[in-house]
Amino acid sequence: MSASEIFQPFFVGIFGLAAIWFGVVVFRTSSMVRSALALLFSMTAIGAMFLAMEAEFLGVLQIMMMATEMAIMAIFMVMYMMDPGGMEGMDMTHQKYASIFAGILATLGILAVVFLVEWGPVAEAAHPEEQTRMLGIEIMERSMLIFETAGVTILTAMIAATAIAIERRKS
Amino acid sequence: MTAAISILALLAGAYLVAVLEGWVSMGRMSITGPLASGAAMLGRESFVPKRRDRVFFEVAPPLLLVSALLAAAVLPLSPGLIVADLATGALFVNAALAYVMVALLMAGWAPNGAYAMVGGFRFLGQLVAYSMLIVMPITAVAMRAESLVTTEVVESQAALPNAIYQPIGFVLFLLAGMAVCFLPPFDLPTAPGELAGGVEAEYTGWRLAVFRLARLVLVVTVAAAVSVFYLGGWLGPVFPPWAWSAAKTLAVAALMLLAGRHVPRLRETHVLEWGWKVGIPLALLNIFVVGVMILVVG
Repeated sequence: MSASEIFQPFFVGIFGLAAIWFGVVVFRTSSMVRSALALLFSMTAIGAMFLAMEAEFLGVLQIMMMATEMAIMAIFMVMYMMDPGGMEGMDMTHQKYASIFAGILATLGILAVVFLVEWGPVAEAAHPEEQTRMLGIEIMERSMLIFETAGVTILTAMIAATAIAIERRKS
Repeated sequence: MTAAISILALLAGAYLVAVLEGWVSMGRMSITGPLASGAAMLGRESFVPKRRDRVFFEVAPPLLLVSALLAAAVLPLSPGLIVADLATGALFVNAALAYVMVALLMAGWAPNGAYAMVGGFRFLGQLVAYSMLIVMPITAVAMRAESLVTTEVVESQAALPNAIYQPIGFVLFLLAGMAVCFLPPFDLPTAPGELAGGVEAEYTGWRLAVFRLARLVLVVTVAAAVSVFYLGGWLGPVFPPWAWSAAKTLAVAALMLLAGRHVPRLRETHVLEWGWKVGIPLALLNIFVVGVMILVVG
């Protein structure tokens, strides 16, 4: 058993646990900014998991995108919540039994997939540069239409959201 | 070994930038000035605000330093002198610099003080304005190099540096770089004279020293990124590669420090407006022009 075979699962596991822990922190705080940043670090830990699994491009992309996304989410959470600092003792939780039930169900589902699927031999990861190239070709060839559709849809949503937000001129 | 040399080079660069910053802001050069003020900061007691967010308050200054160091790790000083030659180096620079904003947001939120919080959220607004102007010029640079590896980006500029090949991208990236380092006129989060230090306002003693050091390292890192992406990094005649890298990085740092000195501080709404209405269309134009040039000229 080589060193990488020991270290790789170890780090994947460590970052996985970190992701779960920060995910728990999201719901254990009442402060909007803490909650958003805990979510950010949970996502960053998932990015680190990608890196540990030798998916370099995906890992770096995840780490980069999430920083900006979660920060912008923090702005909106602070803007719209009546108690963004969580200092007034506001309770953010609701439908506890339903969520516990959903959580247990999802965990069982994931465990079933993990243990019941025949995964076969572990695939060798391509060289990082090759991965980037393959991803580029995938986006520009087979999946081009999907990405273009998604891009145009998001753009439309952005324009529509801006149009709704602008105060109507009284003519 | 490579990591040790790189960190020493970064610290030396940070010191020179501190001397330079003192010179441009005070009007007189003092070689020992930063050393004295650093020692003074370390000698002072580090006060902490009463109802602070403990974790954020302690994490913010080191996080700023770590994000600058991580970005520096993928930038080559000379062909063999690079801490991590990642296949996604150019993208990684951007990923690491995104955490500058996270650090400043934390520093702004943590002390439970009005000035700091205004500073932190202003920087978030600033990020929305500048972040696309970091990514899109890098895209055009990667297009020419046909790679995200930073050493290959440098080698792609052997015939002509990117500053001449894609001047629009160069100017945009330089301005966005100044915004990342919150240098004047983009010094909204600290805003001396208006926010009483903004995100730095509640930091004292060694915590402030870490914060200031992180900012200096950040300036050096961003200057090194400009040198690698646009000025051909280590490429140059006669002198050894590392000397060219160092000279170009320091020259860019000096330019960044001097450029905004005599310009009034931009309001966040104006930064956003110019970033989105002027910057992004220009960055798109840059990508288009570079694409055409690659196809036509090669």
